[in-house]
Amino acid sequence: MSAASHAPRAAVRERPSLARRLIRSDHLAGWAFVAPAVILIAVFALIPIGWSLLLSLQSTNLIAPAHYVGLANYRALTKDPAFRSAIGHTLVYTVLFVPISVGGALGIAVALNRKIRGIRFYRLAVFVPLVTSTVATGLIFLWLLDPTFGLVNYVLHLLGLPQQQFLQDPNQALYCIVAMTVWSWVGFDVIIYLAALQGIPQDLLEASEMDGASRWATFRSIVLPLLGPATLFIVVWSTINALQLFDEIYVSTRGGPLGSTTVIVYYLYQQAFQFFNGGYGAAIAYVLFVAILIVTLLQLWVGRRRVYYSS
Amino acid sequence: MKRLILLPLIAAALALSACGGSSSNGSGTSKAASGGTSGGHTTITLWEGYTEAEADSIKALAAEFNKSHPNITVNVQFYGNNDYALQKVLAAIAGGKPPDISYLYGSWAPNIATNPQVVTLNKLIAQDPSFDWNDFWPAGRKVATVNGKIIGIPALVDNLAVVYNKKLFKQAGLATPTPNWTWSDFENAALKLTNPAAKQFGWAYVNDASEDTVWRFWAMLWQAGGSILSPDGKHAAFDSAAGIKAATLLQTLAAKHAIYLDNGSDNYLSVFNGGHIGMLWTGPWDLSQIVQSKVDYGVTTLPGDVNHQTISGPDNWVMFNNGSAHTAAAWTFLKWLTSPAIDLKWATMTGDLPIRASVAKMDGYSKFTSKYPGIAIWAANLANATQARPQITVYPKISTAVGQAVQSVLLGKASPQQALSQAAQQVNGILAAPG
Repeated sequence: MSAASHAPRAAVRERPSLARRLIRSDHLAGWAFVAPAVILIAVFALIPIGWSLLLSLQSTNLIAPAHYVGLANYRALTKDPAFRSAIGHTLVYTVLFVPISVGGALGIAVALNRKIRGIRFYRLAVFVPLVTSTVATGLIFLWLLDPTFGLVNYVLHLLGLPQQQFLQDPNQALYCIVAMTVWSWVGFDVIIYLAALQGIPQDLLEASEMDGASRWATFRSIVLPLLGPATLFIVVWSTINALQLFDEIYVSTRGGPLGSTTVIVYYLYQQAFQFFNGGYGAAIAYVLFVAILIVTLLQLWVGRRRVYYSS
Repeated sequence: MKRLILLPLIAAALALSACGGSSSNGSGTSKAASGGTSGGHTTITLWEGYTEAEADSIKALAAEFNKSHPNITVNVQFYGNNDYALQKVLAAIAGGKPPDISYLYGSWAPNIATNPQVVTLNKLIAQDPSFDWNDFWPAGRKVATVNGKIIGIPALVDNLAVVYNKKLFKQAGLATPTPNWTWSDFENAALKLTNPAAKQFGWAYVNDASEDTVWRFWAMLWQAGGSILSPDGKHAAFDSAAGIKAATLLQTLAAKHAIYLDNGSDNYLSVFNGGHIGMLWTGPWDLSQIVQSKVDYGVTTLPGDVNHQTISGPDNWVMFNNGSAHTAAAWTFLKWLTSPAIDLKWATMTGDLPIRASVAKMDGYSKFTSKYPGIAIWAANLANATQARPQITVYPKISTAVGQAVQSVLLGKASPQQALSQAAQQVNGILAAPG
């Protein structure tokens, strides 16, 4: 600490003009303001990211000394049928989760963006699942969807519909996970949409009303385009989250039954922390990282061409 | 302007203190590891993840030890949930400052043994006849031993026995099970205890395809006289007639809806405590909640086919080398902690089973068994835990393959024959793979 605090002062003495120029410039002030975040991110994110790239080129159980294997982990991944099916489950999940949660959030936000009695209660109700811990959410759904004692099957029974196995049926479990995660994450999207809706200039809406536009036409031609930036953000953010799905699987199905909910990150966890294949797990992480990067860039590229920015 | 220069420094200091914070529970270690043996006094660090009664007990016992051993101070440090112990110990090893003693799951033993800093205890045990290694239950000894190297001292030895609901047995017109009941008695009881209209099940089975699914199957496999691997350890052997017989029992009961399939969240316990399950295969860890639920319960050994074997899931105290003074002090503490008198004290305080066979002959033993009604059955049942899972690094992969097989039988997706031969094929591939 003391050595560190001396260092800049020494620099000041040696080359005063440069130091003064630096201090005066906006650059230094800017860097100084972001430095705390930059240093923390560097120590706790960038170094581990670099380290895991190294790890992905090694064969290691994370316990004994590792040895370098080049791209062997990546080559093995191309021939791993379990990895391929994990990709499949992740894609199915993402393709369902993103449109349902974004569309659902838009509908809910529009419904909540008006002055009705008890609006605070409804907004709170939508937001509560988001702040509920994932473990609690998992337990709630395990009980709700229990084939024998669950509320959902009870309701189906009252309606005279056949009983379902839900999370215990390999053909249904992934869809139950979609429902569970939409329930717990939709609140976040709603908040973003509500903020965006309240930012829509009132005069535009009034003008369209005076021009005799129907509510649907107003929504389609004014509200939806003005929500573009928010939609782009939510779609990108939800896609990244969906591709990295883990917690909800870990607390509910643990990748089952019969591997039907083993998504990429859960497979990574299995390899690294259950099978002691640290290097292989790191290679999976890197493949996923590159995939997410490509998908995100693609979304932003499409977004830039399609989204209307009012400023 | 001065303030602007200070900002990055503050940030750097913050980052440093954050690093310090995350390893602050190792501060005792670092002092100790850098040779904290001034004047013949040694401070050693023990990492554990106990909660509730066990957490209080380990602190109380360490304090007792520190009082009676003025030359050694045992510093007990809680590392959070035992599930995360491995990651933390790995990080500490990488940082060059492992704890002197750590509680580690038995299933990690073969992988832990590959670390050069783990202390091999064979010599220490051989030099000290008073330690009496053979007094430890065989299940515990087997899990502490990897390729002949003893890499830990048993910290916990439990096992599976049957807990049954006496009221449901009476309602079904069944006699309560005796210790020498057979598989067909068990099957018959499970079917008679099943009543879909009342949402009542004869039995429960953990069906998440994890080791929790698999170890129950191993117990059945052993009862039928089968074994997991061939004697040379190179091939799968669980797809034998014994394995198929065990899987068929599961298939029959599952097809008749006699099994409550638990999805791994331990809901089975609430369902049993609510009076909807006739029999559980479980261990002492569920006992306190069953007692609280006021279910009128009984405990007995698992049903038998060829024998009544059960399975144990022992955990270990593992020592890491931080210099000879530390090793000597850590060994002194573990010897004391696992001595018969202290073992009985620990069992009485926590409800854990004694890890030594001789404890059952001690004077205070009846106090332990009367404090936890039914515990004596589990304690005696340790004699039936004669086999252990293979102590090999690829065991977690084998477990996953067999877990899928058992699950597919329970869900009716595959016949016992199909499921087991497919799993055996996978396991043979895993065993044949290099490294």
